[in-house]
Amino acid sequence: MFHLSQMDQIFLKSLADVVRTSRTTSQYDKLTFTTQTIADIKNEIQSRQESVRYQALLKLFFLAMEGNNIRWAEFQIINLMGSGDFQLKLGAQLAAHLVIDNQSQGLIMVTNVFIKEFKCGHVECSTTLSCLGTIANKDLSDNLLTHVLKLTTNTKPLIRKKAIAVLSKIFTINPMNISGNLEMVIQQLQKETNISVLACGISLFCSVLKVAPKLYPLFLSIVYDQISKQKSNWLLIKLVRISNKLISLEPRFQGKLIEHYTRLLNQTNSKSLQYELIYSIMKYFKNHSQLYESAGDILKQFLNHQDPNLRCLGLECLTHISTSAGLMEFQEQILESFKKSDYFSKLQILQLFKDFTNQQNFQTVIEFFLKHSDLESNHKIIESLIFIITKDKFINVDDPEKLLLIYIPVIAQKIDTIDNAIRFKEMLFELLTRVPGLKVYSDQLCNQILQTYATQSDSLQGPTLNIVQRHTQLKYSLNHREIIFKSLIMIVGESVKLLKLEALTNIIQFLEQLNILNCYESSLSDIDSLLFKIYIQIIKTDPQNEIIPQIEQLIKNIYNKLHNISIVKISFFYESLIQNKSKDQLQELQNLYEEDLPPINLEAQKFIKPPEGLDLSKSFQIDIEEIEKIKNTNSEYIEQKQLIQQQQQQQQSDSNQKEQEDQNNQIERRQENEEELKQFNNKVDPSPKKVFKINRDEELPPGIDQNDIKKFKEEE
Amino acid sequence: MINFILMVNKQGQTRLAQYFQFLSVKERMTLEGELIRKCLSRSETQCSFLEHRGYKIIYRRYASLYFIIGMDLEEENEMAYLEFIHNLVETLDKYFENVCELDIMFNIEKAHYILEEMVMNGQIVETNKTQILAPIHVLDKAKDE
Repeated sequence: MFHLSQMDQIFLKSLADVVRTSRTTSQYDKLTFTTQTIADIKNEIQSRQESVRYQALLKLFFLAMEGNNIRWAEFQIINLMGSGDFQLKLGAQLAAHLVIDNQSQGLIMVTNVFIKEFKCGHVECSTTLSCLGTIANKDLSDNLLTHVLKLTTNTKPLIRKKAIAVLSKIFTINPMNISGNLEMVIQQLQKETNISVLACGISLFCSVLKVAPKLYPLFLSIVYDQISKQKSNWLLIKLVRISNKLISLEPRFQGKLIEHYTRLLNQTNSKSLQYELIYSIMKYFKNHSQLYESAGDILKQFLNHQDPNLRCLGLECLTHISTSAGLMEFQEQILESFKKSDYFSKLQILQLFKDFTNQQNFQTVIEFFLKHSDLESNHKIIESLIFIITKDKFINVDDPEKLLLIYIPVIAQKIDTIDNAIRFKEMLFELLTRVPGLKVYSDQLCNQILQTYATQSDSLQGPTLNIVQRHTQLKYSLNHREIIFKSLIMIVGESVKLLKLEALTNIIQFLEQLNILNCYESSLSDIDSLLFKIYIQIIKTDPQNEIIPQIEQLIKNIYNKLHNISIVKISFFYESLIQNKSKDQLQELQNLYEEDLPPINLEAQKFIKPPEGLDLSKSFQIDIEEIEKIKNTNSEYIEQKQLIQQQQQQQQSDSNQKEQEDQNNQIERRQENEEELKQFNNKVDPSPKKVFKINRDEELPPGIDQNDIKKFKEEE
Repeated sequence: MINFILMVNKQGQTRLAQYFQFLSVKERMTLEGELIRKCLSRSETQCSFLEHRGYKIIYRRYASLYFIIGMDLEEENEMAYLEFIHNLVETLDKYFENVCELDIMFNIEKAHYILEEMVMNGQIVETNKTQILAPIHVLDKAKDE
C-alpha cells in the first residue's frame, strides 16, 4: 500500500474523466488507453486512501462493461469487501459477480467477512445478502446457512426478503440443507404479511420443487391461502405459476382453484396476469367448460390484438391445446393473425398447423399458406406444407388427385431452396408409389410444372448441390429447379406404359426446346433414358408404324441439338437404333423388354470372377434332355410365376382402361381452369370422381397381393 | 429464472450488465454483440420476444438504449418480464430524474445497486419503487452528512 502525494491526487483520474476520455479516444488508440488505465488502477487500488481506492473500483466497473477482463482484481476486490468504509464495501460487493465464480479460490476468505457484515446495520446486511446470493457456492452456502436462517426472522422485511431469496439458492446448490429447515421457513411465511417477503417465499417454493418435487404437500395450503386473498399482480403471477407445478403433481388441487381462477379472470385488467391464467387454464382446465370458454374468449382477443407481443403470447398458449378440435375453434383468428405477424410468430403458427392439421382443415390450410407466402418465410411455409402433406403417410390427404394436379404444381413453382426441392421430390415419389392410379396424370403434372421452367432462363441461378456419380466420376451441380426437373423426368419415364400416344408425343416435343436442353445440361442422361423408354413404348403401341417416323424425326432433332451442346456420352440408343436401326434389332429389343428386368448393382461384377475354363460366348447347355429335366423340376415354379404375372397384367389392363376413360373426361374439364389459385374458389367437380386410395402399408409395393406371395411360398 | 440483464446502446456498447450465471468475458462480449445485432434488425411491428442460444430473450427499446433480459427456455411469463423492464426504467428515472445513458455511465455503481434491489439470484424480489430506492436514499443521506 502506498500513500499518494497531494500532487499525485490532483492528477488522479476519476470515473468521469475515464468515461470522457474513452468516448473521445479513437479505435486505434483504445488499446493504449485501456492498458494505461488498467496500470493506473492496479496502483490506485492498493492505495491507503479510501477515496482513491473507491475511484479505482468505479473505473474497474466501467472497464468491465467495456469488455475488459478484470479477473486479475479478484483478490483486491475480496479484500475491499472487508473494508471499514461502507461505500468501498458496497462497490466491492457489487463488483464481486464480475470477478468471482464457483471455482474461485478467494471465496474461502469471504465467509468471515460476511458473518461480520450480517451483524451490522440493515443496509450493510442487505447488500451482503445480495452479494451472497450472486456468488454463493456449496462451501460458502453450507458455512453461512445457519446465519441466513436466523436472518429470516429479522424485524426488517428488507432483510427477511433477501434472506429467503438467498435460501432458495442455498437449497438449490445443496438439497441436503432442505430437510429440517424448510418447515421452519414455511411456518414463518404463514404468519408473514409483507408482499415482497411472500413473493420471495413463493420463489423459494419453486426452487425447492425443482430439486425435491416430493415435498409439494408442504406448499399446498399456503399457496391456496395466498391465492384466495392476494391482490398484488406480481404475487398472483407467481402463485398461478407455482399452482401449475402443484396441479401436475397433485391433480385434485385443480378443483380447488376453479373458483379463484374464475374470479381473477373476470376482475383483472393486467395482461400479464391474464396471460398466466389463460396459459394455466388451456393446459390444465380443459374439462371445465365454463372456465375454458372464458379463457378462450380472452385468448381470441389476444390473437386479434394490435400489439404483436400479445399475438405472440396468444400463439404460445395455443401450443398447449394439444387437440385438432381445440385448434379448429381458433383457426380463423390464427390465420388472420398470420397476415400481420413477423417471421418468428409465423414460425410459431406454422408449427401449430404442423401439429394439428387434419383432413377437415387440410385444404383450407394449404390454400391459405400458398396464398400468403412472402419472400422471408416462403421456404419455411413450403417445408411445413410438405410436412403436413406427408405426415403419417398422407393421413391428412383425402383427395390425392386434387393434391397432385392442383396443389403440387403451385408448391413446385414456389420452391426456392435445395432442401425443399429434395423434400418435394421425395413427397412426389412416395405419393405416386402409394397411389398407383395417379401415374396416369404424370404428363399433366410435368406440363404444368415444366412449362414455367422452360420459359424462365434463371434456372441455373441460386445455390447448388454438388453431386459426384460414382461409376462415372462425373461431377455436376444441381439447383432446386433441376432437382425437380430430374424427378419429373424420372416419374414420366416410370409412367410411360400408362400414357397415351398423344401425351408421349407432347413430351418429346417439349423436350425438343433448346432452352430446356441448355438449362438442364446435367439432366441430359435422364432425358436420354426417357426418350429410350418412350420410343420402346411407341413401338409396342404403334404396330402399323404410323407415328414412329414422326417420333424418330423429333428424337433426331433433339440429338442434333445435343451435339451442339457437347455432351460427354453419346447415347447407344441414338447411334445404333435411331441412326442405323434394323428391324431385327428392334424386334430383339422388344423381346428383351417384354418382362421387367431386376436391377443389377453396377459394382457386382467386380467381385464375381467367371469360372475357369468357361467360354462366355458358347451356349452352356447343349443337352436337350438335360434342359427338359430342369424344366420339369422347376415347372411348378414357372406356373406360379406365370399365374402371378397374368393376374398383374389383368389388373393393370383393367385399371388402364378405367383411368383412360376418366382421364379423357377430366382433362376436358381441367383445361378450362388453368390459373393457379383462382381455381380454388370456383373449383367444384360435381361429377362422381374416381376415389384414389392411399396405400399406407410400407411393406407392400402397389399391385401385389400379400396372399399370392404367401401361397406361392408355401407351395414352393 | 433470469440469466442476465443487459443495457446496450445502438452502437453495441454495454452500459450495464448483470449476469446471474458466470460467463467468461469472451462469452459475454460475443453474446452481447449478437443480441444487439438481432435486436437492431427487428422492426417495431415485430414482437419483443425471441430465442437465442438456448435463452429466451425479452427486450425493449428506450431511446438509444436496449434493455435485454435473458431467461431459461422453460415456461416463463414474457409479458411480466416486459413489464418488469418498464418498472426498472421507471425506478431509474425516479432516482436520476429524467434518466439518460450518461447517468448510468457516470453512476454505474448506483445503477447496479438499484438493479440488485430488484433482482436477486435471477428472481424478481421487489417491484415497489419506494421500497427499492429507500436504502439508496439512506446511503446518499449518510454520504452528504
